[in-house]
Amino acid sequence: MVVRSYEDECQFLEKLGPHTWKIKSGFQPNMKVDGVFYVNEQLEKLMFEELRNACRPGMVGGFLPGVKQIANVAALPGIVGRSVGLPDIHSGYGFAIGNMAAFDMGNPEAVVSPGGVGFDINCGVRLIRTNLTERDVQPVKEQLTQSIFDHIPVGVGSKGIIPMNAKDLEEALEMGMDWSLREGYVWPEDKEHCEEYGRMLNADPNCVSTRAKKRGLPQLGTLGAGNHYAEIQVVDEIFDPFAAGQMGIDQKGQVVVMIHCGSRGFGHQVATDALVAMEKAMKRDKIEVNDRQLACARIQSEEGQNYLKGMACAANFAWVNRSSMTFLTRQAFAKMFKSDPDDLDMHVIYDVSHNIAKVEQHLVEGKPKTLLVHRKGSTRAFPPHHPLIPVDYQEAPESYKNVTDVVDTCHAVGISKKCIKLRPIGVIKG
Amino acid sequence: MESYTFVVVGGGIAGVSCVEMLCHLRPDNRVLLITASQLVKAVANVSQLTQILCSFDVEEQNYGEFSGKFPNLTVVQDTVLDILPESHQIRTDKGLTFHYEKLCLCHGARPRLLSDNEFVLGIRDTESVQVFQNKLKEASRVVIVGNGGIATELVHELKGVDVIWVIKDETISATFVDPGAGQFFLDSLQEGQTGGAPEVCKRMKYSSRDLAPNSSTCKGSALGPDWHRNIQTLGAKVESTARNVMVEFKSEVKRVLTRTEFQGCGLKESDKWQSARDWSVYIELDNGTVLGSDFVVSATGVTPNGDLISGHLFEQTPDLGIKVDDNFRTNVLDVFAAGDVCTTTWTNAPHWFQMRLWTQARQMGLHVGQCMNASLENRLQTLDFSFEMFTHVTKFFGYKVVLLGLFNGQTLNNEYEILLRITKGQEYVKTILKDGRMHGAILIGETDLEETFENLILNQMDLSSYGEDLLDPSVDIEDYFD
Repeated sequence: MVVRSYEDECQFLEKLGPHTWKIKSGFQPNMKVDGVFYVNEQLEKLMFEELRNACRPGMVGGFLPGVKQIANVAALPGIVGRSVGLPDIHSGYGFAIGNMAAFDMGNPEAVVSPGGVGFDINCGVRLIRTNLTERDVQPVKEQLTQSIFDHIPVGVGSKGIIPMNAKDLEEALEMGMDWSLREGYVWPEDKEHCEEYGRMLNADPNCVSTRAKKRGLPQLGTLGAGNHYAEIQVVDEIFDPFAAGQMGIDQKGQVVVMIHCGSRGFGHQVATDALVAMEKAMKRDKIEVNDRQLACARIQSEEGQNYLKGMACAANFAWVNRSSMTFLTRQAFAKMFKSDPDDLDMHVIYDVSHNIAKVEQHLVEGKPKTLLVHRKGSTRAFPPHHPLIPVDYQEAPESYKNVTDVVDTCHAVGISKKCIKLRPIGVIKG
Repeated sequence: MESYTFVVVGGGIAGVSCVEMLCHLRPDNRVLLITASQLVKAVANVSQLTQILCSFDVEEQNYGEFSGKFPNLTVVQDTVLDILPESHQIRTDKGLTFHYEKLCLCHGARPRLLSDNEFVLGIRDTESVQVFQNKLKEASRVVIVGNGGIATELVHELKGVDVIWVIKDETISATFVDPGAGQFFLDSLQEGQTGGAPEVCKRMKYSSRDLAPNSSTCKGSALGPDWHRNIQTLGAKVESTARNVMVEFKSEVKRVLTRTEFQGCGLKESDKWQSARDWSVYIELDNGTVLGSDFVVSATGVTPNGDLISGHLFEQTPDLGIKVDDNFRTNVLDVFAAGDVCTTTWTNAPHWFQMRLWTQARQMGLHVGQCMNASLENRLQTLDFSFEMFTHVTKFFGYKVVLLGLFNGQTLNNEYEILLRITKGQEYVKTILKDGRMHGAILIGETDLEETFENLILNQMDLSSYGEDLLDPSVDIEDYFD
């Protein structure tokens, strides 16, 4: 890391608008594009404080400030556009969390980096609606919560809801949500509202180590600790009744369930395996980076391709996980309210990932290009009428924006009543 | 003579977990569980805290009730006398003979008692807890010898009685935690405060009323978590519900004497333990201290029961644990062993080691079930991932305690660094690092770090660049490695 005084560092940062800052080339060595980050007043203060602390004498290595991480990513080969920091960006391994970066797949130098995806691959959020209201749920809140936990099958006696043998796991890794569908745990229409329809097609279980599979096997259908959870939530405010209506949200006090989890130990192992393999290959392929944590490989190299296929398996694992939780949640509600999930209108509103890398088509300087987009702690948002928006949400373009709000709420722990606001704010370009 | 595909001996956590796995995997085969006690352990409300770390409730069920769980399960209350491996048979105390294809021994371990004095109690099972409870009602002073989980939990729970805790180490709870954590607990203990609000314990269900009156000679299975919660832990000194604990550090019991022996031997009570009354039992410590007490609890560990059932057949470790390989097979064909009675002999994964705890008993029980099933299909089972890293979660002095990997630097030959973060009375976080990698951790209190640290230990990521900042409370390390 370059060591300058705080004042000198600030020379490289330029405010472009009330919420937008540019990180100019030179802030870190070898930047190929600029960096940009979006903040509100509060976050702006935090980011600059982080930088100031890092400039104090004697502070080296360890946790780099977010702005530096964005800049280091801008120095990676093959990056196009800008290295983007989304609201509430903060320090992470390699890439900051909330850092989005896209690489030109047509450029043989372009790289893929596991740090840009995160360890908990396809950590994401799924929202399921109900036609219950707060009044219905309040009196039985504790039992309902307990019931969801009780329904989580673990180990012995859990009749095959979660794959328990190696063969089931292999199939789940390859098929993602299609596996859950085949086994009868999700509804066909659930896929419509899922990113990638709940399955990445380039998954190849042969690219995943035995240790990762061993780590993953006991974990399917479990929530994990920390910032992963299932929450029963209540609609607090509806800002856009039309858009909300399209998603089946039509009243304040309506009860929804939010599931936040990923691929856990499985994702961790896939990422760890890739980092180790890539570090070895970097010398061979003459790749230089500013930060060792940004270990990466040429996209078309064996290491790069293996990682992408393994990452897809982890992504599928997470979708199976979220699908299993969906099933359990539906069962729990059905049992509690002596109804069935269909009558309770428990449809999946959306399922988005915030730790993933995907191949996408975008216009760069007027020309269509195929890009590998890394999103860590960031989700995809579409402009209106984008073909990948589910058909029934086509007419509700505003509602698909700023899922960062959702990401921010993911730091609550355990099950609790929370209010979600469906509200379009800001613009996040994918 | 009845014939079963699978026979399991012992109704404790290992035996019950094994039986559940077998019944689940092989619904068309007959499974027999033989238990000496009327009560068997049932595991419920399993809560997976992290990939490997798991907490669960232990319920005691009458064995008849348990057998109703699976259609292919038969449960018999009896004691196994011996095994005839050539004919694949076992013989019981009631004169029955059973034929097995695969046999698993899960008959546990027995408390190591300081002496056979009638006032020295071991706490091992439902029945011994009952005895303890009865004696406690009349007691105004209790001596607890031992420094492990049971002693620790007991010291925390007893009220209305003076407790003298005799430990051979310099700090309390040394079996589990290091001196730093021991001090952390001691501070709380002595200031009379412990972590968190008193919890409503919904876990342990105790159905001692199901015990038949003549069951006094039968030995039950080991206690699981929360064994102490529902029992009356109030002693005779009811005017003070406060806890009054004094610790005798670095002391071992040299002699245990009855009242008569004490009166005849010329010893006197040490000054600090002077009392104007006679006690039922007296102990002399190796440092010369002499004191009397209403009774003594011997919580100094257990001895595996490897010698009890046809012990001569089995290769054992010196502590009488039956040796098993990574498929939990003993040296006798078609005979397996799991839980406290066994000693593992495979080369341990770098972050795992055996400790006689209920969490391991469960992991072993589940795995040996898989192994027995595989054996029936003439194949071997690879070791389950739970043996990749040591994990244990428990509660001491009201604090949640999570132990991960080589939490006390075990096997690292003192060549490691410790990173520590303490908030007195609230939280204790200790990590063991070597070559920049995390190898173990102790987490006391609600730290929310268990999954992150479990991943860091399993990933073996190089953390040297973070140095001490790794535990900087202003860094959200959980998020960072997400």
